[in-house]
Amino acid sequence: MEQVIINGAILSANYALIALGITLIFGIMNVLNFAHGQLFMIGGLVVYWISAVVGLPYGVGVAAATLSVGLIGMAMERGLFARVMAEAGREENAMLLAVGTAFLLENAALYLFGEKQRGIPPMVQGVYRLGAAFLPANRLVVFLISVALVIAVLVFVHFTRTGRAMRALAQDRTATTLMGVDAGRISMLGFGLGAALAGIAGALLISVTGVNAGVGAAISTKAFIMIMIGGAGVIGGALLGALALGFAEAVGYALFPGSVTYLIIFVALIVFLLVRPQGIMGRPWG
Amino acid sequence: MSFLAVESLTRRFGGLTAVNDISFSVERDEILSLIGPNGAGKSTVFKLIASFLRPTAGRVLLEGAVMSGRRPHEVARAGIVRTFQETTVFKEMTALQNVVVAHQLGLAATAFGAYLGTPAARADAREALESAAEILDYLGLGHIRDEKARNLPQGHLRALGIAIGLSARPRVLLLDEPFAGMNLEETDRAVAMVEGIRRRGITILLVEHDMRAVMRISDRIVVMNFGSRIAEGTPAEIRANPAVIEAYLGRDDETIGS
Amino acid sequence: MARHLAAASAPELARAFDSRRGAFALLLLALLLYGLVPAVFAGRAYWLNVMTNAALLSFASLGVWVTFAIGRVNIGQGAFALIGGYTTALLATVLHWPFWLCLPVSAVVAGGVGFLIGWPLLRLRGIYFAMVTLSLTEATRLFFLNTIRDNGGGVLNIPRPPELATPLAFYLFAATLLLLGCAGVWRLANSRIGWVFRSMRENEELAMSIGIDITRYRILAFVICSAMGGVTGGCFALLQQNIYPATYTIADSINFLLYCFLGGLEFVLGPIVGAFGLVLTFELLRSIQEFQALLYGVLMIVVMLFLPNGLLSLGAVLRRGRGGGR
Repeated sequence: MEQVIINGAILSANYALIALGITLIFGIMNVLNFAHGQLFMIGGLVVYWISAVVGLPYGVGVAAATLSVGLIGMAMERGLFARVMAEAGREENAMLLAVGTAFLLENAALYLFGEKQRGIPPMVQGVYRLGAAFLPANRLVVFLISVALVIAVLVFVHFTRTGRAMRALAQDRTATTLMGVDAGRISMLGFGLGAALAGIAGALLISVTGVNAGVGAAISTKAFIMIMIGGAGVIGGALLGALALGFAEAVGYALFPGSVTYLIIFVALIVFLLVRPQGIMGRPWG
Repeated sequence: MSFLAVESLTRRFGGLTAVNDISFSVERDEILSLIGPNGAGKSTVFKLIASFLRPTAGRVLLEGAVMSGRRPHEVARAGIVRTFQETTVFKEMTALQNVVVAHQLGLAATAFGAYLGTPAARADAREALESAAEILDYLGLGHIRDEKARNLPQGHLRALGIAIGLSARPRVLLLDEPFAGMNLEETDRAVAMVEGIRRRGITILLVEHDMRAVMRISDRIVVMNFGSRIAEGTPAEIRANPAVIEAYLGRDDETIGS
Repeated sequence: MARHLAAASAPELARAFDSRRGAFALLLLALLLYGLVPAVFAGRAYWLNVMTNAALLSFASLGVWVTFAIGRVNIGQGAFALIGGYTTALLATVLHWPFWLCLPVSAVVAGGVGFLIGWPLLRLRGIYFAMVTLSLTEATRLFFLNTIRDNGGGVLNIPRPPELATPLAFYLFAATLLLLGCAGVWRLANSRIGWVFRSMRENEELAMSIGIDITRYRILAFVICSAMGGVTGGCFALLQQNIYPATYTIADSINFLLYCFLGGLEFVLGPIVGAFGLVLTFELLRSIQEFQALLYGVLMIVVMLFLPNGLLSLGAVLRRGRGGGR
């Protein structure tokens, strides 16, 4: 029981980074970022390359992963989405462009890093015991960093000028632009921040579960599940979705063999969406 | 029996009562206007009549048949057709295509028949095309029939919206702010157009802000404020009604036409 | 610009009631599929197999195109291909039904599941529909993984009827299927139903207001799509003579979308051009081995950026370019 709670909390914290990132991008750009899982994967592989291949400290790897994935995100916004959104066309175009980007990033990663599962040794050794449960020190560190980052993001979007501009843009793009906010710059930064969060999540999880070039689709799927539960584009919803998915996984893995858990999660999700199509906190359409 | 009867219609959104116990009736071939300050609940009444919303209480009857609770397309088939605020049209189609598509209701052939291209379906297509051309000409849109709707100016879009509504063979046409944003001359033309539609044997219920036009065109007027009905009568009666004057008092954007 | 549009859209309407243009395109497709392909690749089993793949993938994508036509991004076609594939596989191996009976049953089963699931799911729009159908693909994979105990959820040794024993025979069968599917969808898109779909894609509320039963037409589109997915799954099960839960994953569902998109969402031939184009490009890039996937990805992005309305819009783009830009 304690073990399930501990595992659920650790998963939720990490998933929250992924969900925050994708919901931020959706809120600001109205694009469902299919490449989110690939950004996560690249974050992990950059850490692997810096610390296991080059031999620099783990912290340097995380910083490099955050920065490089953030830059990839900004480049995606500038080079692809800003251009496509500017042209009137069918709505689906942006979504499908994100799909194409995911494909490209995955193939680039395959070319650069190969298809092997990559991992790095834990940053800290040791295991704590909490009652009947085990808590590896490394996971505790990952958990604490994730929680700290989630709090930092919340502070950023609520209390800084840029962060508030991002939220305003997500609420009402036209009005915000009229108020003199540079929508182009904020969109780019928002996309960059959302991507960087995915990158950090990957950089942290590589020391726990490892990462391979093909993991992107599965991570994107998890990100989608979380924002479907919570409601797309809503920050509070992303956190709720992360909690729900993290604990559902932890409980499921304790009770059922691996693949049954997700079968149950998917069926429950579909039933849930029939009752509440816009998620817990999402805005209904129309 | 009234042609269209609205009986004790109420709609609540959460704790907010948008429409509170509204009743009125519309007679055949009448033009009835629903007016009131912004947020009075007029548009909600419209959506309730067209079944785009379900009432919390009350009901709408067309010639004695209950419409409330039926799905929007069924209500449209029964003869209650709404138009939309602003300019809701099929933007990627030409004006003519917009109106041809809107002829679904008058067609004889089944969808499957249309798929197979039966003679009935061919006749349908020909008839729809002729009727669409006639409606476009009637509303003064004949010269832009092959323009894509997205390229049309605001005034034409509103007329096109009405053309779409007319194509669905309404018995009651619900017009949502047909004169909004028009100048005097445009309003005059639009008023004449609405009167012409009535002469085609179509009953008209309209929601409007432009008091001058409403006073001119309406047989009767229902006034709403804060979700409730505060007055009903002929334009002359409404103009003299103290409750109506009070509801509009101190509002710069709307004045009662004289 | 205005004059140009007026000139372009009058025939566009005429096309709705005139089948000559479509018949010409179909004839051309038939000539390519029955004439050119067998002539070029006769006796080359590998390439005939590639073309068979492309034809079957086109068929499934045509189904996805139909859901694009009602304005839904459907990432669930893999699920229906799995359902159809397993239906054929199980009927053929357990009950020993002949393939020609298995295939229509696969269509009915997949279409039936589409009907039951589509009813509630189609209330969702936009990214929610996309995400939930994506989940459906994964859920279906997990379903077969957990219900079929042997061989890791796989069904092996599916017998092939003797008349489809050679690569050429199988190719001709796939080509025929594709032609029939294309003719059927083309007719649909250009009949009144196609215009109803189009009106729903542009504005569901407005479509309702003119008396269109959008629920019914949505279901119709989704069932057509699902049934086509089921047929594709059944054919592939027979072609490969096995099926596994991982035969269709989210990536496959996404590929069906990409074929439609890259070919052009405005054109019935779009998914076919997209599927053949991408499958052939991928094969041709095989000679550069390690760069294959990378270059393929780059090419895809380039097409998306510069031809956002698909490869088939190239003609229109060139015409516009000659006419002095937009």
